[in-house]
Amino acid sequence: MTSMPVSDAVLRRLNTLQLALAGIIIMAPVAWMVLSSFKPSFEVTAYPPSLIFSPTAENYGELIKTTPFFSYAVNSLIVTVGSAGIGLIFGIPAAFAVSWTRISWPAILTLAARMAPGTLFLLPWYVMFRQVGLIGSYTALILSHAVITLPIVIWVLLPSFDNIPRSVFEAAQVDGCSVTRILWRIALPLVGSGVAVAAILAFVFSWNYFLFALVLSNGDTKTLIAAAFNFVGEGSTQWGVLMAAATLIALPPLVLATLVQRWLVAGLTLGAVKG
Amino acid sequence: MASISIRNLIKRYGNYTVIPALNLEIADHEFIVFVGPSGCGKSTLLRIIAGLEPISAGDLYIGDDRVNGVPAARRDIAMVFQDYALYPHMRVYENMSFALELRGVPKTEIAARVKRAAALLHIEPYLDRKPKELSGGQRQRVAMGRAIVRNPKVFLFDEPLSNLDAKLRAQVRAEIKTLSQQLKTTMIFVTHDQVEAMTMADRIVVLQGGSVQQYDTPELVYERPANQFVAGFIGSPTMNFFPAELRGERVVLSHDGTAVGLNGAAQARLKNAGGKAVLGIRPEHFAVAPDASEAIEVTVKLVEPLGSDTLVHFELAGVSAIARVHPGLRPRVGDHLYLRPEPGKTHLFDNEHGRVLS
Repeated sequence: MTSMPVSDAVLRRLNTLQLALAGIIIMAPVAWMVLSSFKPSFEVTAYPPSLIFSPTAENYGELIKTTPFFSYAVNSLIVTVGSAGIGLIFGIPAAFAVSWTRISWPAILTLAARMAPGTLFLLPWYVMFRQVGLIGSYTALILSHAVITLPIVIWVLLPSFDNIPRSVFEAAQVDGCSVTRILWRIALPLVGSGVAVAAILAFVFSWNYFLFALVLSNGDTKTLIAAAFNFVGEGSTQWGVLMAAATLIALPPLVLATLVQRWLVAGLTLGAVKG
Repeated sequence: MASISIRNLIKRYGNYTVIPALNLEIADHEFIVFVGPSGCGKSTLLRIIAGLEPISAGDLYIGDDRVNGVPAARRDIAMVFQDYALYPHMRVYENMSFALELRGVPKTEIAARVKRAAALLHIEPYLDRKPKELSGGQRQRVAMGRAIVRNPKVFLFDEPLSNLDAKLRAQVRAEIKTLSQQLKTTMIFVTHDQVEAMTMADRIVVLQGGSVQQYDTPELVYERPANQFVAGFIGSPTMNFFPAELRGERVVLSHDGTAVGLNGAAQARLKNAGGKAVLGIRPEHFAVAPDASEAIEVTVKLVEPLGSDTLVHFELAGVSAIARVHPGLRPRVGDHLYLRPEPGKTHLFDNEHGRVLS
């Protein structure tokens, strides 16, 4: 049996079909969530689900009216920006140090911390934060979320720093730079897109992280994602309102990712191929 | 003053010794070339002088200052890297002014020094460009400019011509030599290219296995190589080597007894060495004789006309050898040639260590 040559056009179509299928699988729940948030409450749980309906903002109105949604959003913003900031402040020099010294165990340690289940940290943290009276504070949430952001920053930036020819750093040494100055004057300007990607990913991962906020926050510091969990009541869940909340929560990461998608891909693959 | 003194310097990576106990004295304003094959330790030695590699043992002095452990930033040296190592995010002007800015030189003086260096290197039109907008040759000049503006005690060059094409390499080579004459600064240039070494150096350091094989002027390295390694490394095409011995009063090639007609001094040296040695003859030190008297008859196997002269390949005493002859001779493959080693231009090396017999 001889194999039939497949024309480029057929291959292209198959490729498109494959991508479309993957897109549908990935986006279907998101579309369902967004559509449901605009449905009247009685239609949200209707089966089979209706695709044609008169869109309404009543779920959003209800959400704003019945919950301190904006306070939660501000909490999320404080925790996310704070933890992403800590991740960048410590992660940038850490990634540079690992790249400079070629001692990789600290980076591997942070990765292990990131891969470990959150519950591993939760209990000790709860005890420790309670002892110093920080339970329910932004400080506790920001510090705990730094465990999420720090490894991301380090591992996104490491290949970017590695990709800078060593001789450029050596030239800077000969020119009179200390290691710190090499980081700020030479290395950092050369990994700008990497820093942007690291910042966005740190923001998104921290924004979406649920477990720490659920346990370590209180009514005043609860983040959106933890608050949304409370919308699921026992037997009386307001699905439409929950969908509206979920849509709004998903919005900032989606908007960020869309705005910088080209940059994101370039930043993530930086260092993969040496130019 | 920027003499360099290297005393019993040792460099190890773990258990592996790259440079075993090296001693070297470089005088102020000298242009020194480190030359040797890949892995001979020449770049490591340069990086040690630059302060980019720590010393395992021994001492390094720049001028009167012992600089072991002094960071590169405080050695007052400038270095041109093989890949130029320009700062990609800075314009040419900023690349050149960066080191001066770090040292707190006033802006007006920085501008004057950059302008002067740019004029010297003919790169004034490119001062506003980023490195990626420059050709290889232009980048090379910027890298040199970055070194020149510093007015350092010592210039270090790490194979800076190896990324240039042949024509540009010859041009920049001449420019660096001119520059060295104008700047009157101590310069150390690392290369594996013996032509660069011969044409640029006041003195050449031939390295192998981290050891200095010979440290002499280009003329002496070429004319009086200290050992078989140097003799084989310097000169292109490489020197021909034949096992030779003394039979009675005649020096002959061991393989087939071919007499090579060496003079009395060579005979005496061979005799002192126990009668056997390696005979070295450079391709350009074969003279073509009209007949077989006092000459060696060879059969031409390959001819390489170079224009200015012609290389003739032949086999002699079981060794593939080359002679450089006048192009007007127009030899052909299969022709018989009569060759005679030029008196006083042959070399004898001991069989065991390759040391020159004197």
